[in-house]
Amino acid sequence: MSRITEILNREKAGTSGEGSPPNILRTLLAIQSELGHVPPVAVSEIAEALGATDAEVAGVLSWYPDLRTQPSGRHVVRVCQGESCVANHCGRILKGLEKKLGIGLGETTRDGLFTLERVYCAGNCAASPTVMIDEDVHGRVTPETVGTLLQDYR
Amino acid sequence: MMGRLYLPQDTSARAVGADRLAKAWEKERGVEIVRTSSRGAFYLEPLVETDGPHGRIGWPNATARDLPRILRGEGGTLLDTIPFLAKQTRITFANSGVTRPLSLEDYRAHGGFAGLEAALRSTPEKIVEELSISKLRGRGGAAFPVGRKWQAALETHADRKYVVANADEGDAGTYCDRMIMEGEPFRLIEGMLIAAYAIGATQGYIYCRYEYPAAARTLREAISILTEAGYLGEGALGCNARGGGRFTLEVFVGAGSYVCGEETALLQSLEGKRGMVQPKPPYPAISGLYGKPTLMSNVLTFATVPAILARGGAWHASLGTAHSKGTIALQIGGRVKQPGLAEVPFGLALEEAIEEFGGGMAAGARFKAVQVGGPLGSLFTKAGLRTKICYDEFARAGAILGHGGIVVFDQESDMVGLARHFMAFTADESCGACTPCRVGSVRAREILDSIAQGRGQPGDLELLADLGETMKQMSLCALGQRAPYPVLTAIEHFRKEFR
Repeated sequence: MSRITEILNREKAGTSGEGSPPNILRTLLAIQSELGHVPPVAVSEIAEALGATDAEVAGVLSWYPDLRTQPSGRHVVRVCQGESCVANHCGRILKGLEKKLGIGLGETTRDGLFTLERVYCAGNCAASPTVMIDEDVHGRVTPETVGTLLQDYR
Repeated sequence: MMGRLYLPQDTSARAVGADRLAKAWEKERGVEIVRTSSRGAFYLEPLVETDGPHGRIGWPNATARDLPRILRGEGGTLLDTIPFLAKQTRITFANSGVTRPLSLEDYRAHGGFAGLEAALRSTPEKIVEELSISKLRGRGGAAFPVGRKWQAALETHADRKYVVANADEGDAGTYCDRMIMEGEPFRLIEGMLIAAYAIGATQGYIYCRYEYPAAARTLREAISILTEAGYLGEGALGCNARGGGRFTLEVFVGAGSYVCGEETALLQSLEGKRGMVQPKPPYPAISGLYGKPTLMSNVLTFATVPAILARGGAWHASLGTAHSKGTIALQIGGRVKQPGLAEVPFGLALEEAIEEFGGGMAAGARFKAVQVGGPLGSLFTKAGLRTKICYDEFARAGAILGHGGIVVFDQESDMVGLARHFMAFTADESCGACTPCRVGSVRAREILDSIAQGRGQPGDLELLADLGETMKQMSLCALGQRAPYPVLTAIEHFRKEFR
């Protein structure tokens, strides 16, 4: 049985008696948390298991910015672009990272180690500028220190 | 030497080194490290505290090398004497920095569940009346009278009702919900339990944003602790309560969509669908999740409820200004000296927030503008700083308080770039349900793009104003209705930069 099938069985079994039908978003997030992304080829299987149409599943998959249809690098580096970070000139942090990694926003380094993205507010506004690496939040980042941050993830 | 050290576990404290300190000191003999919530005075983090004869003593911006002098008691500051903290009126954040987030013992010792106990001794009708007397308004941004919402959910009859906490704290510049969820999750859940008892709900959800993994983890642990202790689950609210007194709670994590903070979009997302905004009415309190009455409020609103039930609606209504009652959690950030959270009664002037709590501008920075209320909030210049922080004065100024975010920009901020940033945000996040927002935001961003690239045309600013007016009047939800404000206020105050 494929890992996706296992997750789909869990979702069907775990649906509570509260009258809530199988949940497409929760299922896609569960798949992503195990596989790192949701392969678009799995849409039909997911739809069938949840009693939804392919269009409904594909529609949810394309709607949410944090659902991935492609694998990311081993670590996802996200530069915060919330207002407090913008006020603290986070553009300089992004430029520093682009230079250090040799990639632009949305790209992955050739060694597959880092994917560079942005986030609209990590909620770390009182310690801006912010860079999130995977689930770790780093505050008061400067263009000088941003390179050192990456070292711990290599 | 023996010593108990208090060290915050809050994400922002960890983001500036709290975990590094914990790791460096954990093996030191005679040192006990207690991880607490954060005071919210983030400019002092990592802030290490010890017990002193007159209260906690703090060592701000501590480094690993400070341990010997902390243990000797050298150079610490009595927390109560720090003006940033001493000048606040802390109610919802009273235990911030003091207690352990997941300790029921700490929560009970600091007044926890007094509100729930008062509620369970009362009746649903009286609870709703107390909230109406308190004049509490929703703290998420829309500022709807909470008592009226609870009244509608109470009066609507259905076989099942829901309570939903909106923890999709998407307004950039704000983090008070994150602080509550990570720092005192029991207070949020206590507020939700009171709501469940009042309206007769049996199931609750906390819709937490994807960007807050630590908050979601803490909430899940808090739920399992409260289920174990009998506060959640079968008979949690007393067998005579409606719905058999059962209340179960679940954390649902979103996937990075700003518009899902809008209540109808949030409910769509909670059902697992695309987060499209729905026309209102019907309001969620009457027909919400799966078509059932759903009492939905933001995290901070629910977390304010226990104190109101414990101390009375009249007490809450005695704080603040004529039409803005209670306290507001100001989250001051950007280029100020002392970024952090300040809980104060409504009515403080914007200038006082920036000077007295923010400490004025950071070294080398000169004030240019301040934005209040997240990415949809208006910009103020020096001339607007006397505006008092309350709903009516902000409404008169065409501005919003939103979720209480205050972001200060310095002289190096480029206003065209900033206006473009705001509109690009709306264009990215628009759900597309209504044309003014879906198309208007993209057209406005294109115009701002061409101005930014020096290709602006005569009439561009008039076109932006016209487009903005259409979006304000015709959009389905606050995203489209408010998106023009930061852009148009930027043009109004800094017209010279837009050519």
